[in-house]
Amino acid sequence: MYSIPHFIIPDLILLVFPFIVIGSRLFCDYKSKIPWRIANIGLMLIFVLLNLIPLASGEGQFFISNWRVDDFGVLMREVLILSALLGVWLSKDYFEHGADGKPQMHQIAEFIGAIAFATFGGITVVSACDTLTFFLGLEIATIPMYALTAWNKKDQMGTEAATKYILMGSVATAFELFGFSYLFGFAGGLHFSEIHAAVAAGTSPLLWVAVLFLFCGIGFKLTLFPFYTWAPDVYEGAPTPVTAVLSVTSKATAIAFLAVLVYGPLAPIQEQIAPLIALLAGVTLFVGNLGALKQSRLRRFMAYSSIAQAGYIMVALLGPAEIGKTAIVYYLFVYAISNYLAFFVFGIIGHHREETFASLRGLSKQNPSLAIALAISMFSLAGIPPLAGFFGKFHLFFSGATTGHYMLVTFAVLNNVLALFYYIQLIKSAWVDEPDGHLTPLRLTKRQRAVVIFLSIGVVAIGFLPFLSNNIFAGFNY
Amino acid sequence: METILFNLIWVIPLLTVLVCAPISASHEKVLKALHATSATFVLFVVCVLTYRVYALSGTPTDEAAAPFLLRFFTDIPWLSAFNAHYIVGADGLNMLLLALTAFIVWAGVLVSWNIKGNQKVFFALIQLLATSVYGVYMSFDLVLFFVFYEMEALCMYLMIACYGSGRRDYGGKKLTLTLAFGSSMILATLFGLYFEGGVHSWSIMELSKVTLPMDFQMWAFPLMFMGFAVSSSLFPFHFWSPDGHSAAPTAVSMLAAGVMMKMGAYGCLRVAMFLMPEAAKIWLPYVVALLIFNVVLGPFIAIRHKDLKYITAYSSISHLGLIFLGLAALTPVGLRGASLQMISHGFLTGLFFATIGMIYERTHTRDITEMGGIMRKMPFLGVGFVLAGFAGLGLPGFSGFIAESTIFIGAFQQDSTLTRVVTILAILSITTTAVYILQTANRMLHGNMPAKYEALTDGCLREKLVIVVLVACLLFIGICPGWISEILDQSIAPIFAKISAAAVPAVGG
Repeated sequence: MYSIPHFIIPDLILLVFPFIVIGSRLFCDYKSKIPWRIANIGLMLIFVLLNLIPLASGEGQFFISNWRVDDFGVLMREVLILSALLGVWLSKDYFEHGADGKPQMHQIAEFIGAIAFATFGGITVVSACDTLTFFLGLEIATIPMYALTAWNKKDQMGTEAATKYILMGSVATAFELFGFSYLFGFAGGLHFSEIHAAVAAGTSPLLWVAVLFLFCGIGFKLTLFPFYTWAPDVYEGAPTPVTAVLSVTSKATAIAFLAVLVYGPLAPIQEQIAPLIALLAGVTLFVGNLGALKQSRLRRFMAYSSIAQAGYIMVALLGPAEIGKTAIVYYLFVYAISNYLAFFVFGIIGHHREETFASLRGLSKQNPSLAIALAISMFSLAGIPPLAGFFGKFHLFFSGATTGHYMLVTFAVLNNVLALFYYIQLIKSAWVDEPDGHLTPLRLTKRQRAVVIFLSIGVVAIGFLPFLSNNIFAGFNY
Repeated sequence: METILFNLIWVIPLLTVLVCAPISASHEKVLKALHATSATFVLFVVCVLTYRVYALSGTPTDEAAAPFLLRFFTDIPWLSAFNAHYIVGADGLNMLLLALTAFIVWAGVLVSWNIKGNQKVFFALIQLLATSVYGVYMSFDLVLFFVFYEMEALCMYLMIACYGSGRRDYGGKKLTLTLAFGSSMILATLFGLYFEGGVHSWSIMELSKVTLPMDFQMWAFPLMFMGFAVSSSLFPFHFWSPDGHSAAPTAVSMLAAGVMMKMGAYGCLRVAMFLMPEAAKIWLPYVVALLIFNVVLGPFIAIRHKDLKYITAYSSISHLGLIFLGLAALTPVGLRGASLQMISHGFLTGLFFATIGMIYERTHTRDITEMGGIMRKMPFLGVGFVLAGFAGLGLPGFSGFIAESTIFIGAFQQDSTLTRVVTILAILSITTTAVYILQTANRMLHGNMPAKYEALTDGCLREKLVIVVLVACLLFIGICPGWISEILDQSIAPIFAKISAAAVPAVGG
């Protein structure tokens, strides 16, 4: 019984997609727009195909039941593809030949290819049914990120950031491998169903060691306390589009990793590891919020903000599978859109000025629409209704509260005030502070304006529309 | 038809923002005309619907809305992921508060006619703020309620920090963050209400049908009550209000003091006390103790201040304290008095801040020691200010007298020494109120006029209209309070029934 139903077509397209994009370089010169167009068409096609899959239609297992497609997987694919698409759009300006005739970065085809590989890695993580594929997925998702971080070869900061990232990432990988090997030793098998059965049959110290190592390993990637310290440097050193991809795709992959693990093979001991999750969540969101308070550089600020967001998202893992997974996917959508909106604004500013709070001064007078977009994205990240961020956080807290973790939820909710404080600092720079006379004026291209408006509407609309009840085009079958 | 009109109340401000979005900011007159028209239209709709609620009283209402007697009831499933519904309806209390809001928003749009800065954004923010306040008063689903409740934070900061005066960034941040702190306290308890009640519903009506576990109520009630009380500036969370109000532009001060601070008291009554009456009975005596600051010390602080807005802010703190006194009395008269005070104080503080804003626009100072003789140049504004002051100190004939005397009667009925002592102190503090109001009016309106005030003019027609309408409202409530009490009683009856039915367990009391 081996057939390829339509569930798996988007995955197969995504698998060949990076090769096509990179391969297109053979047939066109370095200024050609063809790779960029292929990337757009390909990613949009995959996104539409994913949206055709009706939710709640069960799950399919493929390739000797090592590859699984379920609702969570489909929605996670959509998040990852969306993130890749927005990342590609954001990066376009950096390959453009500006007034001085030199783009900031070169080789757009390979750049897009690397993003697509990372996306495929993320999809492997959500689809894997055995620890080997699972681990491979995580590595496929991480390794292109090292390269992307150092994409701007002339930038010292970028190289330094990439070095730091590789070193930290390798340590994390070692932790994970170690954890997986113990898990294998404990369960005597690689497949999740075998591990699940072994865990359900009874625990042993070996299992706890494995869980601890796995959490440490993923803690690096998800920037959990105390493994978050690399994030600010890497986020600041990497080119802006890479920072955006890093903060969304790689975070989504890491949380998907945890969700698959906690709700899959480790489901029988979810209650026992709940205190660990709660502790990590609480401390991480607090530390992230504290760290963001005193930042003056935009990307460093966003790094701490995303550390805090990682803490918030961990809260959802405390809930039961159905609610927890919905909350995570929903929040990732919201987070992706809000974060990309912020990075688009920062990117536009970064083209003309330094990316610091001071460069935002007087934005509301120079370019009110950009200032409004910035306010929307910041208030959304802070979780103020009626913007999407609030509903995302509400989902997360709801999931945590389902199993009665009121203490943690209360702590997280109160932390929101702290978060609001620093997001308001940023809005203040843009809205209240008087402009410095010598700042260069901002000019938006039509594409930039369109994307900013599109994302702003998305952040406003996603929140209160009944979202995620089904896929967009699920009524049509193919 | 009426139900659709009712739902339009919060939709129209939002639509106005959307309609105005593509219009260029340079077409100021068109934008202002649009906003004024929309605010007037909403005011008209709300007045008609308020009359309908009054006319319909006594007739049976929607069964699904029990125990409340809700008109224009709407219940649509909204966010299926956590079972949130879109539930709105009107009983007497929230309809009157909606009417108050509509008046204040209308007046707020008119008084900000000449605001400096990007007018397009400012008026859009006023409309968003209006949406949020309308939404709070209309909704009976806790998620919907909270969404509207916290929306204010988004608008408030931008409006104060960008269009305010003085320490506007500081004031705006202090206000927004304190209010956000309050609302996060509320949010934290909402989840508990959903899960602990066992009904798994956010609907206030559904939740009121169960008795929540006592150990949950014991921690959730103070958290939620204080969360709401933050926005009503109950001691010790009053500190945001003077700085926030003084930094805010006129319309924002009016909206903040006039309607937003009532949202807190309304939430205390409608959500916290209604859903957790057992804990309310245990905890409310402690609230009465806190009130000593609000009611007794607030006026004394106001005497010492020289800035008009600080004086009004502290006067608001003391008047809102009276609302809580009425709530804490836990008698039907007290609750009715508290509701009356919400409405009455909304109009009077709106009038206060409106006249202060108009005077400030001309004199460019709010320091009463620098002012004098304003009555000679601006008799109309001066009289408006004095009338607001009289209403504030509870002169019979104005709404303040009705509301405050009802509260005092209701509070004194409560059989507890502490409440009675605080009530007596509160009655005495009216004298203090009279001191600061008369002293302010005297210094500002009479005496020597500085030479630079020679060229000042009295209010224009637009400003006079605002003052006349607000004064008319104050007088209307003051002279025929029976009409309003009648509307209020039908909504207070189910709340009081639930509270009086609550049996307090012996522990912890």
